[in-house]
Amino acid sequence: MSLDKKFKNWEKNVLDSWLKANPEKKERFKTDAGIDIERLYTPLDLESIGFDYGRDLGWPAEYPFTRGITPTMYRSNPFLVSVYSGFGRPAQCNQRYKKILDWGGVDEIAIAADLPSQMGYDSDNPMAKGEVGRVGVAIDSLRDLEIIFEDIPLNKLKRLSLLGNSLGPIALSLLIALGRKQGLQTSEFVVNLQNDVLKEYVARGTYIFPIRPAVRLTTDVVGYCARHIPHWYPVNICANHIHAAGAGSPKATAFALANGMCYINDLLNKGYQIDEIAPLLTMFLDERSDFFVAICNFRATRRLWARLMKQRLKARDPRSMALKIYAYSHGGETLLEPMNNTVRITLAALAYVLGGVQFLQNASYDEVLGTPSENAAKIAARTQQILAHELGVANTVDPLGGSYFIETLTAQIEKEIEKEFAAVEERGGAIAAIEDGYYTASISEGASRRQREFESGERVSIGVNKYRSESKIPSGAFRIDPGIEAEQVEQLRKTRQQRNSKTVRDTLEYVREVAQGEGNLVEPVLEAVSAYATVGEICDVLRQEFGEYQRREYFKSS
Amino acid sequence: MNRKARILIGKVGLDGHDVGARVVARALADAGMEVIYTGLRQTPQQIVSAALEEAVDAIGISILSGAHLSLLGEVARILDQHRAADIPVVAGGIIPVEDIPALKKIGVREIFLPETPTAKIVEFFKSLISQA
Repeated sequence: MSLDKKFKNWEKNVLDSWLKANPEKKERFKTDAGIDIERLYTPLDLESIGFDYGRDLGWPAEYPFTRGITPTMYRSNPFLVSVYSGFGRPAQCNQRYKKILDWGGVDEIAIAADLPSQMGYDSDNPMAKGEVGRVGVAIDSLRDLEIIFEDIPLNKLKRLSLLGNSLGPIALSLLIALGRKQGLQTSEFVVNLQNDVLKEYVARGTYIFPIRPAVRLTTDVVGYCARHIPHWYPVNICANHIHAAGAGSPKATAFALANGMCYINDLLNKGYQIDEIAPLLTMFLDERSDFFVAICNFRATRRLWARLMKQRLKARDPRSMALKIYAYSHGGETLLEPMNNTVRITLAALAYVLGGVQFLQNASYDEVLGTPSENAAKIAARTQQILAHELGVANTVDPLGGSYFIETLTAQIEKEIEKEFAAVEERGGAIAAIEDGYYTASISEGASRRQREFESGERVSIGVNKYRSESKIPSGAFRIDPGIEAEQVEQLRKTRQQRNSKTVRDTLEYVREVAQGEGNLVEPVLEAVSAYATVGEICDVLRQEFGEYQRREYFKSS
Repeated sequence: MNRKARILIGKVGLDGHDVGARVVARALADAGMEVIYTGLRQTPQQIVSAALEEAVDAIGISILSGAHLSLLGEVARILDQHRAADIPVVAGGIIPVEDIPALKKIGVREIFLPETPTAKIVEFFKSLISQA
């Protein structure tokens, strides 16, 4: 008897009568993005997707890299344990970082900068009022970074991260210059920048300049690193924020891939070779509402990336085809019963590890309430270490590979991403999809759908819309001392007083000159930063040359 | 109502996460109101200017970064300066509960914390407008 026939018999003889007495809780079981999840997966599903081991999976570290990008994965190189942290004044932040490093087993510090620093406003700018040191540490100039990393040699870390989304060349230059101050060559430490500006216009929001000059800033950083510091990570192409904002993970991954293509095309136009730039690119992937989607999304994206690089972009270097993945573990954190968030975050992290992540960062359970407390940040890091060293989770490569369910879902997600990616391409690519509102509409639609599902109870949040036992919403957000702003402004005044103002003026003029032409901005910005020109001063020059991005939107009933 | 109620949804300060602001804007629009969303990073002055330019009946301000006390205080002050203190202001976002009394004292009519049902926010705006 064929398997198909046997399956039908099972449905008729076993399932039907069972269902009569035990009806399923939902009519449809589906993923956040709407893919139906079946009751049972069997070899028949593999047959229906035309599963071919050699073509679809292959071997680890070989095309199409579905199973992972190294032959031994965590057996040789555990995923990197990263902590996102930063608050207040540089000196306070320095104390916190030292404590974090004393915990042991933390490989990377990702510097959380305050919003004025991310937006290119100095601490004494009126726009910075009330924001200095709030959601991250204040970084006005190189001087602040020197204090933040006092007695913390950068080469003690496996990697050092900074966001720098709208001001990539400034972020890169600050860290190169900081290394020099510590007597380190760029070859002696490793830096990672998020530096992905396109998603800022539709999801995260820290855009400054109009889109085209902003893309130039991002790709100037990638180009500079490709030629001078090829072991650094100059851009992390983000699906995370697009997904979180509402798009759902397949669309978010597709949009991020389209954004990545925009950067790659810009670099190819500038004369770089694909194998010179692709090995430096990483992706920040995300799925928060479905454990198995999180796993399959990584596997599907690795496969798609490899095909995109090899087939379309004619990459030859396997390192160009092997996608390195960065992930931030989140899982629908709630304000009510916030300790439960530890469990949600742990499960998200587990999914990412099972999916073959390279760089892992966990949210803190109290992040939803404000800047993470020290204890919560420590639990987040310890969770990653437990996954790396206890429980056997990291003992074998791609542990779920071959599962009927995982392979079917991986193929379905891959198709979904491909379809959405093609839709963006049809519109003319990422910039067109931002300008014509396609990204925003997709995100808003998803966000409203999630909200409806949450309010109807279809989307469950334990302790909130199911099994609710507390009525009062807790608080206890990490408080920032209001004196910080005044102290930081004073520090900034001192920095301005102690520097050579002629050098600052000259280097800022050099930045302006290059901004007016087409040259790479990293070199002039590095000179300005090294002369202690402030982030705000450099951004002001770029604002004068490039202008600023602004828009007002009108909502009518649909 | 002869004309549709007009609501300004604004984002003051530097925070850039506007999922909540957009969900609320969409819901108010679907409830029959005209909604103008300012976009990110408006100064209190820009919010008030937009509110006056667009002749709105109420202002909703979304804020997540923690700077709610100083920024909402500014909005109230500038509204007052323009003799427009009668335009009701509502706030939503990540705001510690213990700050709520201080915000109400400034004149913020209501503060909606995360996990508030959208329908409740829509109802509150409707009641504000029918009072006007």
